[in-house]
Amino acid sequence: MSDIENKIQEEAKKALEGGDVSVVIGWGAGSAPFKTTPVFIEKPEDADKLVWNPACVNNLAVYLPKLANDKKVGIVAKPCDIRSMIGLIQEKQIKRENLYIIGLGCAGVVDAFNLDSQDFHLQDVIGLDWTSDGLKVSTTNGDYTLSCSDCLRDMCLVCTKREPAIFDVKLGEAVQPSDIRESLIPELAEERKAYWSEQFSKCIRCYACRQVCPACYCKTCFADRVEPKWTAKKATAEEAWMFHATRMMHIAGRCIGCGECERICPVGIPVAELAREMAQAVKDTYGYEAGDPNQESPVLGQYKEEDFDPAHHGG
Amino acid sequence: MTQETAVIENTTQEAAAKKEWQPTILGILCNWCSYAGADLAGSARLHYPETIRIVRVPCSGRVDPMFVLKGFQKGFDAVIVLGCHPGDCHYAKGNYYARRRIALVKDLLKSLGIPEERFHFEWVSASEGNRFAELVTEMTEKIKKLGPFEGVTP
Repeated sequence: MSDIENKIQEEAKKALEGGDVSVVIGWGAGSAPFKTTPVFIEKPEDADKLVWNPACVNNLAVYLPKLANDKKVGIVAKPCDIRSMIGLIQEKQIKRENLYIIGLGCAGVVDAFNLDSQDFHLQDVIGLDWTSDGLKVSTTNGDYTLSCSDCLRDMCLVCTKREPAIFDVKLGEAVQPSDIRESLIPELAEERKAYWSEQFSKCIRCYACRQVCPACYCKTCFADRVEPKWTAKKATAEEAWMFHATRMMHIAGRCIGCGECERICPVGIPVAELAREMAQAVKDTYGYEAGDPNQESPVLGQYKEEDFDPAHHGG
Repeated sequence: MTQETAVIENTTQEAAAKKEWQPTILGILCNWCSYAGADLAGSARLHYPETIRIVRVPCSGRVDPMFVLKGFQKGFDAVIVLGCHPGDCHYAKGNYYARRRIALVKDLLKSLGIPEERFHFEWVSASEGNRFAELVTEMTEKIKKLGPFEGVTP
């Protein structure tokens, strides 16, 4: 995969040297071999800081509404990140002509916290790479190969869109994992309320899920408003319910399922699970999927006269 | 507590205990059809339970899903949203947008485990005063059977 890493660096360098791209957003080496961090490359000679490995989890589209408004921005992106960008373009938050997309075929990325439960310690890991059998983990005590279901992030296991939908340069090949799971949504029908009540009672209202979400770009979030006060600041399950339920409604039909909200949550609330259910409901009812370049507007910004009618026809 | 206030307290408690529990229903009504329908029910002297608290909005398209969520969070036993029939919107298409939103609110409430009987969405026109009175009666009976809403996070 270092081959693709080199190509990414070359493309980024070329774009920056060309002059019209002012910054290239990508992933750089993180504080440990199983981590990466977003980097903003402004000089062509810094392009070799860009990396591409199974730990490139961040959805970098979140930076675009602020950066790509008045200047052209290069961005290294996975297919899911690109679907976020398509949403932002449809909602007129960024312009396509302000983007230079280095699109990557994807084999899924790794949940670092899932690695530790295997035969080795996380601190011994020196490198990660994809192989045809799964994920190769190089450690100081030798190499291990993990199956996808043991290490890939949940959202990657249910992902079926591994080719970039729009791009300026395309690198790498999409790989469908052999042991893909259909869906991870648990059957919680009876106990849902108690389940979510317990989950939301953990919420500390740090709003990290909102900050990391490319679809949450509002300049003033309802949660920060004092008048009207939609949700109080106190960290109770009930107020957290109001926050999360409203956020789910706001991203319904717009969430592309990158799962960043769930990854970033410091207390481990599976918010992406709810978002996936909403996305499924939107797909079932309106045949609409967020991040589709053929759509013109979000699902709630359009209607058809023959739409499904949720009204109760009493009498 | 003085003797007088204690007497008052006891009397009100006794009265409350004797009285049958009544649900409190939040009704969000479009100004042009459903609110006029409710008005017609009143001017026609139709009887319906005094369980509904009406919020008048300019159009069902004004109904932010947060109104419904907030209603449940604040402990209403049920929430009703009423708007003009499709094709009858005063603003031509507000209720079409509302229809999509409400469909998704229903899905969200289902995902969160809020009983679907507690949320009701219907088209009620300005001439359907009867239907409005009927609807509030039906809803009140249904919620009485279900009992008080135990909150969004019990």
